[in-house]
Amino acid sequence: MHAARTISLCTKDCVCLFVCPTGATDTENGQIDFTKCLDGCRLCVDACPSHAIYLVPATYPVPQEKSEAVRKSLLALAKSKADQERLARSLAEASDDPVFRQLMDAVATSNHILAEDCYREAGYILPQSEVVRSWLRSLLSEHEKDEDFPSDAVTTLLEKL
Amino acid sequence: MEEDDMRQLSAEELGALCSNLQKACTKQLRSEEAALFAVLASYYDKQRTTKADCDYNALLDAINKDLSEGFKDASKAAEDANDRGAKRALVWGEKASKLLQALMMRYEKQGSALLENTNVWVCEICGFVYVGDTPPSVCPICKVPSFKIHPIQKEAV
Repeated sequence: MHAARTISLCTKDCVCLFVCPTGATDTENGQIDFTKCLDGCRLCVDACPSHAIYLVPATYPVPQEKSEAVRKSLLALAKSKADQERLARSLAEASDDPVFRQLMDAVATSNHILAEDCYREAGYILPQSEVVRSWLRSLLSEHEKDEDFPSDAVTTLLEKL
Repeated sequence: MEEDDMRQLSAEELGALCSNLQKACTKQLRSEEAALFAVLASYYDKQRTTKADCDYNALLDAINKDLSEGFKDASKAAEDANDRGAKRALVWGEKASKLLQALMMRYEKQGSALLENTNVWVCEICGFVYVGDTPPSVCPICKVPSFKIHPIQKEAV
């Protein structure tokens, strides 16, 4: 569990530099050096007067179980939102009116975000979770003979998550 | 995802699933994993096809159908399971969808005048859409500060 800085909150009082036993908080890019940070130390977190530093968990608990009915209805809603994104993008592409394209771009973007949120609450909230991992594995077997599919990226994800 | 669900997913659905996981990795400060999900998301972006024979009303009808059916069905399921996380997503999603519906109906009446000399904004957290010069200081749906509400650019064709 290492510390991280929310740069937009940091008021540069630099108390974290005084308390850090390893110098991890003092860097040229404003972020804490995670490799130097001591696991769970949290001295800088407690000392920061602007509450700009927090701890990043190394592990996460298993997400809450979703009921089958919730999962199904949210996946259906995600599909509907994704279809609307497609419709809005298609309408934008077919038009040469910049205002209409802008409007459809906004509708497509909004629908994309709505679909993402449905997936989150349908159980795909935590990248490290078994539902996500088994989905990634199923993609690998599904696309075994597909040269365009980024199998390396998926394999690396499964190793890292 | 279960095998029978898998086959039905379109490029747009898979793209949204991947970008959701990409964002989750970014929030955990796992930039490498986020970049890998971005690679997967862009693969699905390339698989996207546009519908040739689509019309404005079909899109509006789809939004209306979510409001009259999709959100109601899902809210009932969330209520039955006492799933407050799902309820949260549904409350936000329904509000954002009502605004999309209103926006599209306003465009039908006003045409290009709707966005003349002003801008359209989308909240990156909840999908809230807003027409105006500056977005509200906090999102009225999800209450995130306005730096997460972004303008949609008007691009020359």
